[in-house]
Amino acid sequence: MLDTHISHQPISVMTAVNFGELKLSRNPAETLVAFSIGAGIGVTMYDPVIKVGGLLNFVLPDSSTMSSSQAQFHPFMFADTGLAAFSDALHNIGAKTDNLKVVIAGGAQIMDQTAAFNIGHKNHQAVTSYLGEKKLAVHYADIGGIFMRTLRLDIGNGDNLIQTLGQTEAKV
Amino acid sequence: MTNVDDIISGIDTLRPIPPVAAQIMALAEDENSSMSEIADLIVHDPSLTASILKICNAAYFGLSRRVDSVRDAIVLLGLDEIIELVLLNATAENFRDEPDGYGLGEGELWQHAVLSAYAAKILAESHGFTSQKHLVFTAALLKDIGKIIMGRFVAFSYEKINILVHSRGYSFNEAEKEVIGINHEELGARVGQKWRFGDQLIYMIRHHHMTDKTARDDPETALVYLADIICMMIGFGTGVDGLAYRFYSEVLDRMKLTEKDLQNVIFDTGQRRQKLDKLLYLV
Repeated sequence: MLDTHISHQPISVMTAVNFGELKLSRNPAETLVAFSIGAGIGVTMYDPVIKVGGLLNFVLPDSSTMSSSQAQFHPFMFADTGLAAFSDALHNIGAKTDNLKVVIAGGAQIMDQTAAFNIGHKNHQAVTSYLGEKKLAVHYADIGGIFMRTLRLDIGNGDNLIQTLGQTEAKV
Repeated sequence: MTNVDDIISGIDTLRPIPPVAAQIMALAEDENSSMSEIADLIVHDPSLTASILKICNAAYFGLSRRVDSVRDAIVLLGLDEIIELVLLNATAENFRDEPDGYGLGEGELWQHAVLSAYAAKILAESHGFTSQKHLVFTAALLKDIGKIIMGRFVAFSYEKINILVHSRGYSFNEAEKEVIGINHEELGARVGQKWRFGDQLIYMIRHHHMTDKTARDDPETALVYLADIICMMIGFGTGVDGLAYRFYSEVLDRMKLTEKDLQNVIFDTGQRRQKLDKLLYLV
């Protein structure tokens, strides 16, 4: 006889947010995850009131250093265009700026990486300046060092998990 | 300290590169070799021909008609692409396994190897080294072959290596050398010697982290080095060693690579990375 029991628990899903991607979700059973972030930065923004959030996984600080078509077709590769699109998308689905919980992780550096070539540092500056302009406080930042990181956002409760390969794990 | 001879004897556990691929590598390294010599080598090897045709006919390449001969494949995809497929096909088997010790998942070392190879090619083409692009591609692809053997020794000594890297400012390869007595670059060069790679290819594998100052003057080795650090920054197929390698800005200065150039190469490599997953499992 067939088992007729139907689970009312939603099936949990994990969605990878690859390098140069932005994903948003309102599915409480979904976890967004950016694996192995290097010099790029993973940014999560979450509105706990309406329980929606997203994850941006960008790798370069400034789209204006590229040709306009590169930035136009790949806005999520860059801090400036990626963050602007992220804020707009959250706003469009009803999130309020004042509610947003922001977590950033990544911006790693090669050892002795000098200023001009230090993409990780520039990415951090770019995200900090954008968030400052929008008056968005960073709830938690895990930035720099020589580590690879994985960043997760649980849409159900807004928790972030940051894992540093071979090192630490933080739930924030 | 582990006996270095024991580690070196681990080279015998690798699956040697098929002779025809080794010949193609040698020709690709030789500036005077002709493209038709390389094509002939492929055509005259039935098993390699079969593999290449199978790969070329996969949906990935989106060809409008079925390819039945290597000559056809060369016409449709170009000889460069075919040579790259031969090289990927010849090295895939060794790299696919999950090496212990570096904290890499299954296939991640392979992902890093292949993306580095394409990054090196992007750099070679954009910085006037087109005649050397196959050599640079091959060196970037094979640069971490030593890690396959080193992995279990790194796993055994990981705590010590970790302390040197995170408390005493060692780079990962410096720490490998200090703790184990040999690092993955030296071991990779030993593999190259055993498999009779050309001298230049061995040199590039041996010095791909540029610890030796004189290597920083060698432009082809510099391309492999840059490709590697770009993939580390992108974070593709990188393990517990993370970004724990040294950055030498003089290498970029000598290549006349500006900050904008570096960002452009990261962007182009990133684009390549998004298309790579399908290719990785074809070869």
